[in-house]
Amino acid sequence: MRQASVTPDVDDASADDSLPEFAPLGGRFITRGRLVLRSAYWLASLLAPQPPDRPTPVTASVTRELDVLGFGAIRLVATSALLVGLITIFQAAYQLAPYGAEVVSARALAWFVAREIGPIVVAILVVARSAAAIAGEFASMAANGEIDALRVMGLDPVKYLVVPKLAALLIALPTLTAIAIMLAVIGGWLGMSVVLGYNTGLFLEYLHESLAARDVGVGLAKSVLFASIIGIVAADEGLRVERRVSAIGAAATRSVVYCLLGVLGADTAVNAFVYFIPGLT
Amino acid sequence: MTGDATGLTPNALATAALSVDDVTGPRGAPVLRHVSLSVPRGGSHVVLGPMHSGKSTLLRLVLGLERAVSGRVTIDGSTFDAARVAEDQLRHLRRRVGVVFDSSALVSRLTLLENAMLPLAEHTAVDAERAREMAAGLLHDVGVVGDLERMPDELTRLDRRRAALARALVLEPAVLLVDEPGNGLDPHAAAELDETLRALHERYHCGILICSQEVRYAFHWPSAVSVLANGRIVEHGSLDDLLNSRHEAVRRFVDRRGAA
Repeated sequence: MRQASVTPDVDDASADDSLPEFAPLGGRFITRGRLVLRSAYWLASLLAPQPPDRPTPVTASVTRELDVLGFGAIRLVATSALLVGLITIFQAAYQLAPYGAEVVSARALAWFVAREIGPIVVAILVVARSAAAIAGEFASMAANGEIDALRVMGLDPVKYLVVPKLAALLIALPTLTAIAIMLAVIGGWLGMSVVLGYNTGLFLEYLHESLAARDVGVGLAKSVLFASIIGIVAADEGLRVERRVSAIGAAATRSVVYCLLGVLGADTAVNAFVYFIPGLT
Repeated sequence: MTGDATGLTPNALATAALSVDDVTGPRGAPVLRHVSLSVPRGGSHVVLGPMHSGKSTLLRLVLGLERAVSGRVTIDGSTFDAARVAEDQLRHLRRRVGVVFDSSALVSRLTLLENAMLPLAEHTAVDAERAREMAAGLLHDVGVVGDLERMPDELTRLDRRRAALARALVLEPAVLLVDEPGNGLDPHAAAELDETLRALHERYHCGILICSQEVRYAFHWPSAVSVLANGRIVEHGSLDDLLNSRHEAVRRFVDRRGAA
């Protein structure tokens, strides 16, 4: 047996790739931008017609994710929406009472719930319930070598891990938002009729007058945007961690923070945009 | 051994399933220094080393999961610069390599069967039914029994390792890389997995590179053994060479087995 010769160490200084301090922020935008493009590509390929006899592990994954991210959140969303409807009607009635206009609360409720409260509450609940879980799961997969295993097999982790979750969120959030709008209105009706003692017919009349299809449309469109933000940000935070277990918790925390900021920032931008478009306000 | 840094002549290089030539890396914080080794087609090579000696890093550099500072890697006759290889070239080459990670690394969101058929779904034109049959057959061959629709976290460690082996072999690779095959397994389960590995190696005739801190793998696969210590291959040769070595790191391995 021959002993391997000992040769001088390489100069590590040449391999130093230190980056300026602003790089992490710029890096985040860049990786998220790439993730958006790759996810859009794989989502489009998922929607394209497939030969019926091709193996489809991704489609099966979407169904499983829908069960976890969508169906699993129904109870939380339904209960919260009902309570938010009650809270909104009480707050509106309290503000309008000095003018003798408590009954007008129904108008504010319908419009506000459909455009704003429904999508934003659902998005915040989904962030609280799932964003940390998504990031933590991906970070754990990275630490466990699952991401590397996919890359070694020549498979894009975005296709097999991110896209099923993103597709499930894109289906689940608008659906949950529609449920939330409906239940928040029911909560408002309970507040108006049972607690404040107003006539149900009057409530329905104001509701009918104030709630237009475009209000629900704007709310659902927002929920699609929020679903994209939650899916991309949570996945990116999970996938970008180093391969060590201690990074998992930090990734989960960052995911919740950035998802909330992303959702609220996007909502602000959409509201500002819609304000200046005739026919949408 | 004779020849160049890999211990192989140019002719032998062409017939190697895998050769690693003077690799130093990874970039930024090199763990390995001037590592060279080869795995003949249908043959074996065992890399022994203590924890944190760079065994897993060696596999990551071979697979291009981390970039090297310098060195070349040849997989099934195709050579790439480990410091500057393009992702496209790697994607193509990786299809000729099967990998069993020390953690098994099954995709936790896919069932056992989906994990095993994943490479078929992505890289071949076989239909769903045929892919399922092939994956189920291979899972049976590696010794996984029972419901194939279970999720990875419902499996025993041995079954996870077996399923990872099935996934690694499903495209019939030129070389199989196995990182710490006995990691986390009790002695009985580890022995079972060894049997399975040997049987599959004979059946598929692929080269096999085993990285482990357990010297028994040198006894199971005695033809080529390297000992990695402090990021360098300090000795390489056959099992007999290993047993007769006077190098301190090698003696530690051999003595440990004697004590066991």
